[in-house]
Amino acid sequence: MKRIESKLNTASAEFQANAAHNRRLAEEFRERQRKARDDRPQRDIDRLRSQKKLLVRERIALLLDPGTPFLEFSSLAANDAYDGEVPGAACVTGIGIVSGRECVINAGDASVKGGAWYPLTVKKTVRALDIAIENRLPVVHLCDSAGGFLPLQADLFADKYMAGRIFRNQCILSKMGVQQVSVVLGHCTAGGAYVPGLSDYNVIVRGTGAIFLAGPPLVKAATGEENTVDELGGCDMHTTTSGTADYPASSEEEAIAIARDIVAQFKRPQKTHTEWQTPEDPYYDGADLYGILPRDIKQQFDMKEVIARLVDGSRFHEYQPAYGTTLICGYAHIWGYKIGILGNNGVLFNDSSLKGAHFIELCNQNRTPILFLQNITGFMVGREYERRGITKDGAKMIMAVSCSEVPKFTVMCHGSFGAGNYGMSGRAFDSRMLFSWPQSQTSVMGAEQAANVLADVKIRQLAKSGRTLSQADIDAIRDPVLGEFKRKQSAYYTTSEIWDDGMLDPVDTRNALGISISAALNTPIGDPRYGVFRL
Amino acid sequence: MTDVSRWPFSTVLVANRGEIAVRVLRTVQKLGLKGAVVFHAADRNAPAVRMADHAIEITGSTPVAAYLDGAQILAAAKSCGAGAIHPGYGFLSENTGFARAVESAGLVFIGPKPEQIELMGDKVRARNFVEKGGFPVAPSAIEDDGPATFVERSRTVGTPLLIKPSAGGGGKGMRIVRDLSVLEAEIERARSEGQRYFGDGRLYCERYIENPRHIEVQVLGDSHGNVVHVFERECSVQRRFQKIVEETPSPALTPELRAQICETAAGIARSAGYRGAGTVEFIFGPSGEFYFLEMNTRLQVEHPVTEEITGKDLVLEQLRIAAGEPLGYAQGDVSAQGHAIEFRIYAEDPGRGYTPTTGPILALRPPQGDGIRWDSGVVQGGEVTAAFDPMIAKLIVRGTNRNDAIARAEKALAETVLLGCKTNTAFLRRLVVHPAFVAGDVHTGFLDANPQIAADPPMPNGTLQALLAAASLSTRPMRDAADCVPDLHAAIGEWRN
Amino acid sequence: MQHAFKLGEAEHNVALSRAREAYCLHVGDSLVPIDLKTSPDGRTWLTVGTRHVEVVIATRGDEVFVHLDGEAHALRYRHPLERLAAQAGGGANDLIRAPMPGSIVSVNVKAGDTVSKGQTLLVMESMKMETTLVAPRDGAVAEVQYEKGQTFERDAILLKLEAAAGEGA
Repeated sequence: MKRIESKLNTASAEFQANAAHNRRLAEEFRERQRKARDDRPQRDIDRLRSQKKLLVRERIALLLDPGTPFLEFSSLAANDAYDGEVPGAACVTGIGIVSGRECVINAGDASVKGGAWYPLTVKKTVRALDIAIENRLPVVHLCDSAGGFLPLQADLFADKYMAGRIFRNQCILSKMGVQQVSVVLGHCTAGGAYVPGLSDYNVIVRGTGAIFLAGPPLVKAATGEENTVDELGGCDMHTTTSGTADYPASSEEEAIAIARDIVAQFKRPQKTHTEWQTPEDPYYDGADLYGILPRDIKQQFDMKEVIARLVDGSRFHEYQPAYGTTLICGYAHIWGYKIGILGNNGVLFNDSSLKGAHFIELCNQNRTPILFLQNITGFMVGREYERRGITKDGAKMIMAVSCSEVPKFTVMCHGSFGAGNYGMSGRAFDSRMLFSWPQSQTSVMGAEQAANVLADVKIRQLAKSGRTLSQADIDAIRDPVLGEFKRKQSAYYTTSEIWDDGMLDPVDTRNALGISISAALNTPIGDPRYGVFRL
Repeated sequence: MTDVSRWPFSTVLVANRGEIAVRVLRTVQKLGLKGAVVFHAADRNAPAVRMADHAIEITGSTPVAAYLDGAQILAAAKSCGAGAIHPGYGFLSENTGFARAVESAGLVFIGPKPEQIELMGDKVRARNFVEKGGFPVAPSAIEDDGPATFVERSRTVGTPLLIKPSAGGGGKGMRIVRDLSVLEAEIERARSEGQRYFGDGRLYCERYIENPRHIEVQVLGDSHGNVVHVFERECSVQRRFQKIVEETPSPALTPELRAQICETAAGIARSAGYRGAGTVEFIFGPSGEFYFLEMNTRLQVEHPVTEEITGKDLVLEQLRIAAGEPLGYAQGDVSAQGHAIEFRIYAEDPGRGYTPTTGPILALRPPQGDGIRWDSGVVQGGEVTAAFDPMIAKLIVRGTNRNDAIARAEKALAETVLLGCKTNTAFLRRLVVHPAFVAGDVHTGFLDANPQIAADPPMPNGTLQALLAAASLSTRPMRDAADCVPDLHAAIGEWRN
Repeated sequence: MQHAFKLGEAEHNVALSRAREAYCLHVGDSLVPIDLKTSPDGRTWLTVGTRHVEVVIATRGDEVFVHLDGEAHALRYRHPLERLAAQAGGGANDLIRAPMPGSIVSVNVKAGDTVSKGQTLLVMESMKMETTLVAPRDGAVAEVQYEKGQTFERDAILLKLEAAAGEGA
């Protein structure tokens, strides 16, 4: 594999302008993330302290092995929902190392609305457990929640992928032989009681932890029976009498230490063998990414330059370098792991679509995980391309992506519009992890284009009824549509709705991918099999 | 090489343990004699037991009691055909009854005649004997039969005065009185302690020298009437009247004073017709006055420093004398070169009032090299228990002069590795570089007057970190927890997105 | 950082992690690269930051003895679970409950008595079998709820200990 030769001029005005722009975006992202993670009303912090509770990130710090990374998912979930009052959707999820084992962490954030389950909280939790299932990762639940957020119960209770799915996922994990530990650090009421109930092991803190299907007020209302929290579902009752809880602990610190000791007992999974060599830092500086990405979403850039900042030694083996050049395909290593990369360098044509499908087949044959770097406005349209079968060729690419047996990882680098999102393994296509860069945009088509289309429809409607419109009138119709579109195609909206597994500062991508690939290798890679390729 | 073929014994039984048993056996075996040793089960794996040609187990209600059981020891000697018994120091070494029993049994007691043990063992008799011989003694009062008059006579000695049990030794039961108003009460207390420790409540008291120095002289006398001195040792660095550091020559003596003290000691030994190795102890005042303290009719713990500067093997001399040989050299033939210091390595915690410590000896690396001698009764794998005296080894350092010896000592103490049981080596290292010690400005109250030497100094931050690092990497749960982190995550380190 | 070593009277929290090269010590707010290696001649070398120094280390159980810079030191390891359990004291350990229904055969202590861990508190009888109930920790008896001959159900509180003041270290 030879090193990608960078053709960038890092001193050029263009590069510097891009860099300034993207650094600012990265700083904004970090600040919003920091706020979402740490800024809380003082009274909520005080309340937790008076209850002798630790904050969720303090708990996670005690849980994880020192000197190890934590890849947090969806830190900005719900940032554009619920009036912004539920940062992170009131929970923290991610992959961390506990007692040397890669684990999914699922922790309630009681400093946000008492850790209540909003619809997006449920979605984020279900997603974390789906990640655990797909990657066969043990789960540590840090339970501390006020229960479902009643006013929005219709959006979190009844449907297939709502709250029930959390418990169904727990059962499936158990069925798969993947272990779960729950640490009961607050009240686990009603549905929440099933989190420890369905965990293989659980630990409960005396005094603050409790498990019951209904708390004392509900029980009193239902049957008149009076109970204290401890009598009804406290630590000592459950660890000595009912056997619902396994390990009593006198403090949160002790409970978490016990959980670590439990995880230390888990058999370590056999990793799927994949090509690996000693890691090497990229030859080029990762900070160059800020200068590579253009300020304008419609502007092109050379995806090879991005690849050069992500892969070991900046070395890349390019497949079909002369054919289908709007799609870069090739092999590289990230943190030592061999991967196949598909990256957009323009619109997808017939040849690039075929190249993509073919390369995905090669990766599957070789058991090589695949990384998709998205910057795609869509497939080429027009008569010539239809005659050449662009629909068929796009279908072949989508078939290859969908049936791929090797783990896939997707990064939204810039634009992700239309069916190009699909062909490049968007959310619906089961990538093990999908991340967005701050400036990325995802929607069915570009905002300007969409606004024009919608305004156009309205203008013609009004024209039919005899009205002609001034430019100001047109703008008045167009601008709100444009604004709404822009809002809903931004990375912040994507991440708010949990259409991704989190936003990343571009310079963090290499570490995030390394951790993701390692986690993905706990699952065996099946033999390649595809549906029918419309040839 | 000494010809032992005509000696009246070919096997020597060492009635002792620990470092002195090893020390004596070493010379015994070097001469081509057989060495035997008695041992209590607690010493089963001791180096002396493994060294000896014969090892006979003895029993007792306590380990110490076994080594005090003269009858058993005598029987052990007979059982292995030992013709002589070397008592070492402590235990039965100054027990007149035992010495007599050994001689009655037809064995050779390696030491003085029993009557000499008896004379010098009784502090009152010894003092009177020495005084009558015209040798210097401190003003004192002896308790005859009159406890009442004793108090009055003590008053005349003047303050400060020291009350001592007549039958005592080793610093036990002694009390200093500076104020006559408490004299009577202190006498009562000393009497009950004397009764408790030695079975004898008789007392005597003598003038106490403030900030005295403890200087003793090694003497050798054969059975033909020849007596020589083998120079002095200074043993002023003490705690609770027990010696910690001994050296020779004494930095306090001019050549004239040295000659005076050593001649006085030889004179005392001569006047008693002393046979064997012995030590005459003096108390030495700041203005050069010295008084007879006591005579120890045995080999001393600190004998090695004398050996180092004179080249003499004192145990060999003891054996030769016991075998009936004449000394074979005159006072003028005895010469000394250089300077030697001995450090007693105690299993104790100087920072906590010198409380004895115990523990397994997990690692032991004695210092080595030119001018370094390590006399010890413990080995790696052994255990220090509360059963015996806390002295576990002696470090003896020789140099061309005192400063040279001090430099060597500091280095050797730093190199001494003894892990598993706390010892006083760090304290000794601080002591040996203390300006007062380096200047030779010590006295028996020196350590009490400078408690900061014994105190644990504050730990530098770098040391704490290094200790925590070493300990963390040596502790399985911590090591295992770190080792099981996968390579990738260890390489990425503490990263957050 | 719940592991700790006791050195003298002080207890020091530490954590150890793997690093790209060797290991890292987490102590206080510092992160110090460290390593311990044996050279071919059998000597042990400790690396702390940029300092390389020879050490001799011996361990027995939880005790670690280190010879460093000419001095011997003794540290005692405290496992997180042990430390955190000790910090708690009290709680379930305050109440002595009946493991099964039965009656009191004898009561061996009374309110105000100081008891040590493992000391017999009372003897009960059930199904012709006698069971001795002992103190789970050092402490003082607060109340004895039952007398000889009296019967009780399972889980009945037979005896209460005074709440322990949490152990210091």
